[in-house]
Amino acid sequence: MNRDLIERLTHSRGRLAGGLNLGGDIKKSADEGGCGVVGFCCTEPVAGRHIYEPSRQMHNRGNGKGGGIAAVGFDPEQLGVSREVLDDYYMLHIALLDEKIRPEVEKRFIKANFEIAASGKLDTVEDWQSVDGLHVRPPDVWRYFVRAKDSALDKFIAENDLQQLDRRDAEDEFVNQNSIRLNQEYYASLGEQKAFVLSHGRNIMILKVVGYAEAIVKYYKIEDLRAHVWIAHQRYPTKGRVWHPGGAHPFAGIDMALVHNGDFANYHSVSEYLRQRNIYSQFLTDTEVSALLFDLLSRTYRYPLEYIIEAMAPTTERDFDCLDEEKQKIYRAIQAAHIHGSPDGPWFFIIARNIARQNMFQLLGITDTAMLRPQVFAFSDGEVQVGLICSEKQAIDATLLSLSKDDERICPVADRYWNARGGSHTDGGAFIFNLVSDPSGGMRMECTDKFGVQVPMPGGTEACDFSAEPTASAPDAQIRSEIEQLLEAGRSMDLFEYVRDNISLWSFDDIRAACRIIAGAKNTALAIETLTLLNDRRYATGPKKTSNIVHIVRCELDRLFRSLPALESGRSGDNSYRLIDFQTRDALREPREGEKTLVIDATGFPAEGDECDAGILRDAFIKGWRRFITFASRGQRFVGCGLGPETDDVTIDVYGSSGDYLGSGIDGLSITVHGNAQDQLGQIIKHGKLVIHGDTGQTFMYGAKGGEVYVLGNAAGRPLINSVGRPKAVINGTCLDFLAESFMAGDPLKKGGFVILNGIKFDDNGRIVPLPEPYPGSNMFSLASGGAIYVRDPDNKCDEQQLNGGQFVPLTDADWELMLSYLQENERLFGISVEDLLTVDGRRCEPAEVYRKVAPSISAVSEAVADTDDVATDFETAEPVVA
Amino acid sequence: MADFLVQERKIEEILPANTLKTCVPQAEVAREVKEAPSRFRNEIGKYVVHRSSECIRCGKCAEVCPYGVHVFKPGYKYFASPKDHLCIGPACEKTDHYCVALCPKGALKVADNPMTEGLGDYRWTADMIMATWKMAQTGDVPAEEYGLQYQCGDSGGGFDRLRFKFPDKPPVKLEEDQIDMSIELNKRNDGRPKIKIDVPWYGGGMSFGSVSNVTQLSKAAAATAWNTFTCTGEGGYMERMRPYDDHVITQVATGLFGVREETIQRVPIVEFKYAQGAKPGLGGHLLGDKNTVSVARMREAVLGISLFSPFPFHSVYSIEDHMKHIDWIKHINKRALISSKVSTPTDVDMVAVGSYAAGTHIVHIDGGYGGTGAAPNIAKKNIAMPIEYAIDKVHGFLEAEGVRDNITLIASGGIRTAHDIAKAIALGADGVVVGTSELVALGCVRCTRCESGRGCPRGIATTDPVLSKKMDIEWGTQRIINLYNAWYKELIGILQRFGMRSVRELRGRTDLLMHLDYSNDVEAKR
Repeated sequence: MNRDLIERLTHSRGRLAGGLNLGGDIKKSADEGGCGVVGFCCTEPVAGRHIYEPSRQMHNRGNGKGGGIAAVGFDPEQLGVSREVLDDYYMLHIALLDEKIRPEVEKRFIKANFEIAASGKLDTVEDWQSVDGLHVRPPDVWRYFVRAKDSALDKFIAENDLQQLDRRDAEDEFVNQNSIRLNQEYYASLGEQKAFVLSHGRNIMILKVVGYAEAIVKYYKIEDLRAHVWIAHQRYPTKGRVWHPGGAHPFAGIDMALVHNGDFANYHSVSEYLRQRNIYSQFLTDTEVSALLFDLLSRTYRYPLEYIIEAMAPTTERDFDCLDEEKQKIYRAIQAAHIHGSPDGPWFFIIARNIARQNMFQLLGITDTAMLRPQVFAFSDGEVQVGLICSEKQAIDATLLSLSKDDERICPVADRYWNARGGSHTDGGAFIFNLVSDPSGGMRMECTDKFGVQVPMPGGTEACDFSAEPTASAPDAQIRSEIEQLLEAGRSMDLFEYVRDNISLWSFDDIRAACRIIAGAKNTALAIETLTLLNDRRYATGPKKTSNIVHIVRCELDRLFRSLPALESGRSGDNSYRLIDFQTRDALREPREGEKTLVIDATGFPAEGDECDAGILRDAFIKGWRRFITFASRGQRFVGCGLGPETDDVTIDVYGSSGDYLGSGIDGLSITVHGNAQDQLGQIIKHGKLVIHGDTGQTFMYGAKGGEVYVLGNAAGRPLINSVGRPKAVINGTCLDFLAESFMAGDPLKKGGFVILNGIKFDDNGRIVPLPEPYPGSNMFSLASGGAIYVRDPDNKCDEQQLNGGQFVPLTDADWELMLSYLQENERLFGISVEDLLTVDGRRCEPAEVYRKVAPSISAVSEAVADTDDVATDFETAEPVVA
Repeated sequence: MADFLVQERKIEEILPANTLKTCVPQAEVAREVKEAPSRFRNEIGKYVVHRSSECIRCGKCAEVCPYGVHVFKPGYKYFASPKDHLCIGPACEKTDHYCVALCPKGALKVADNPMTEGLGDYRWTADMIMATWKMAQTGDVPAEEYGLQYQCGDSGGGFDRLRFKFPDKPPVKLEEDQIDMSIELNKRNDGRPKIKIDVPWYGGGMSFGSVSNVTQLSKAAAATAWNTFTCTGEGGYMERMRPYDDHVITQVATGLFGVREETIQRVPIVEFKYAQGAKPGLGGHLLGDKNTVSVARMREAVLGISLFSPFPFHSVYSIEDHMKHIDWIKHINKRALISSKVSTPTDVDMVAVGSYAAGTHIVHIDGGYGGTGAAPNIAKKNIAMPIEYAIDKVHGFLEAEGVRDNITLIASGGIRTAHDIAKAIALGADGVVVGTSELVALGCVRCTRCESGRGCPRGIATTDPVLSKKMDIEWGTQRIINLYNAWYKELIGILQRFGMRSVRELRGRTDLLMHLDYSNDVEAKR
């Protein structure tokens, strides 16, 4: 946009602000937590009830003092307007905290300025107290489909000298300023707030309550309201007495809605930056400020999305250096102009937009440069495409499951899950789902990163029709007999390999039936082992969608677990497994003769507190159980915690969407996570084993003292930070950043700790391929004083610049000998062979050609100190860890 | 198996047997005042007494001095050097036992001790340090004759400008045994133990590393005697502390040094240290020299390396992370109460309410006056909100939010004396945490060099095996028990003057306080 126009727009807002007497002290109404956020978009319009389940499952990220949702891209018929009205008219949603005020509001702010195509009060249930999760009566919400009156708009343009501005853009600004006026009059300037604008864009709606977000769906009866994009937010304001939802998320710009997970540190600075541009906060929260900032960058400065993201989450450090020169030049200019408006500290935004000009809906997630908040993206491709962004993976799983129940073309397992690396040169810390109309009249979606690079999807595209049961004749007789023979032989690995090698050739019916046969096998342990291998391992699925196969396997596993003899029934089943669930939890007792494994159905258990499944597990341990399986987890936390020391004989297998803090504090026991894991795993782990058949989240193994950990995929930000003692970790993928910061784990060659970072991923054929960089972050092993990182880096892509406190040292035979036993265990667990790891471009290399060792550069100092002879005799703690 | 625990608390159902196995019998420490003189030959006093060579050893001075300054043992040729810390100085002139005047040879001289000019600082004045030593020695407040100004410091702000408005005479006359000094730490009614401590204070967290094992154990034993608590700080939980488990708070701080599931399961209270008032936003920092072999062992870190506890928790960036954090510890230890220690930023009231919502039992606000020498000066005096403002603000906000009676508010950061304790409570705290004063009781001279070299020249804040042997646990314990006793008596005296039967009645009574700098009283604010 030309500079002159920017100035005129800014001036017009200045006049508005002056007239309304905006300003005063910059203050914040309440401190706020990180909160739970979820957003998804779909090529089919989907009903509001699907935002219900993920919101409910993220209750523990809010406190019921604020919830909100936004939706973009409606079906005109459902709203009782024509397609033209929906597309062209502003959908004004006004919350009335005082119903009596409505005639006055309408007269002054709606009828005076707008042509109204349709209007009405949003229907609600009669008794708000009948809706769970509401704290106070939600406001009455009135919806108006409006266009600016020509006369009013002409006057506005003339007064503000905006003739050069596109008339639609001027109208946008007119609507915006009208809302500011309304909010000031009936909200910001009052002690007793009376009304405020929820949203004012086209084809977009925002609703908020004092309560949990999902209560909105019930209260405003939008279970069946369909839209292409939905976002929701569970708020956690620290102030206890909240009587109206003005401060709840989402906040609106024109044609956009923003929710925020975090609490940035420079609220004052950003507010000041906006004030210098005549933009004033009226609801006094950092989320509102964020929405205003985004609106400014997009609607006033007209930046392309990439530059908006850069202005909000600047690229820094080594990441900046990795950009090409042209980009550096532009980014430097953006940073110079907008760094004071860039939110600092932990934040993560999910934004839903209607980009009417391009006939496009958009969902995007932006994470902060320091990557302080957890976030997961997912994409489910196919006939119906779904893009998802959540604070926790379990919320994604809940959404997909909910959607798949309505539309069986949607698989509950997404094709890809990934994290963003904030402010990075690799993906820019943001991903964008664009929904555009395709020629057939439907919509298609693509997902790109900040730089416009499309997120690659797995090769297999053939989907399973989950709407029908497999035909009775499947699998064919030969498959059946071969499986039966292998079951007879009783070796799970053989059976797995048989299925794996044939899976590309079989039909989905055959696969489903084959899995069903395996699940029904008499030998329960064999069945569980085989299906678990099919779930955990990465292998070629030919033209078929891997996600669909994984879903088939998981369904059979769940079915198998649910068919196990109930602990409650007390009947002596023919196997050693006993099932317990939420309904029968009081039946917990000591294991009897022949009972070995307690299988916990996590469905219905709360995520934390005295009743949680991790609590049942601990109680069962106290009663003498030693082997556990939990399945159907939905983000329940603390699995494996609280069992105390000396638990080497305990094993726990976790299936489903496991939750935060899994295995944090374990001292002896083994936990295997059969899938992706969440945040804060293995913190302060002392001893024991943790195996993750997937990715893991933030601050993995923070403050660990020991233990052996194997991760098939990636760890997110800050893994193994502040670890001491002797933790050993093998990470086959990579990390976002800050790997092993302040690592203090002795000397690996003298029983100290270390990390093996393989920097690989799997291709569609289940073969390992190196990642573009084994470690993309700017900080590895920074401030470390002990331990080592062994990084697989045959092409020497890691450089000294990444090591703030570490140094590359030659890999010795002793190092390799140490690594080898862990890599062999890695091979046993994940099927990643040591041979393959040592093979580069088809050539078998020496270990020292493939692996590089990063050691602390200050070890010399500590050795000098170690020579002194002061020995305290007072402590009978662990052996000394001396580098 | 620790039968006593099983019988008394039925914790076998909530703690796994393998954890119970690690429980040890608990020590009993008598709450008994015993004289515990300075461990140094020449205790520093306010005055110095000079004896010149004119002395004829007639013994007159020893005869007249009721304070025991002059020690003349029959059979010895010379006087011992005067115990001048017992001398009341020139004030003695008006009495009939002024040795200087009564000496037939004029051989005695009393003068101000020049050392006092170098001792302490405005906040911890020399008088206050010496008075604390006396309390630690005798278990009582120093006699009036000494003229030690110990109720307030000289900082010109904070508690030093607050005074109680005592009634001319007590509304009711109460005996000591009619006054209840205990406070409850769990007000949530959540089924967790209703822990009650006998005095409205407990000991602050000082890690093994920042202080010696002797210091930690002395604090723990004294806390046991007074049925209150001490805190391990963040630096591991030594095995020798186990007999005091029931009176130990273990800290989960940002470095997670020495924090293990088992150590969390040992204790009745777990404290999250989010920040320290002395250095908010700076985390913890143990310089390499103090990271000796035993410290490195305890923390399982590398010897001789400076150890950082980062700021903040890498896993906690928001209130819902905080809740998750609390849930985690509650899950690991089903009987533990949770304390959240935070510093005092301007929005400390919101933090406190948020913490309450997250499930904490105790909100512990730590103001900017505290901190030992290790905190950087620039931080110590300039970041956190003064604690007296913070207490009032948090107390008021908790009341406004209607949750005041469901949470325990503990204040710390520069609580030096019984008067500070009473003022903090009158401002709205339930109780306080003390730190530096315990170290002063152990002989600290406030040189504020805790961090440097191998640490403390007095052998308190050190991990050097030689330096830390300058003190033994029995003596250290007795000194702190004595200090607590002196405070207890002072507090009883204050409550008697107000005619209050319980220290809980004092909470939030800002109407009983006045600020010397403002003519209108604090009560006008409410």
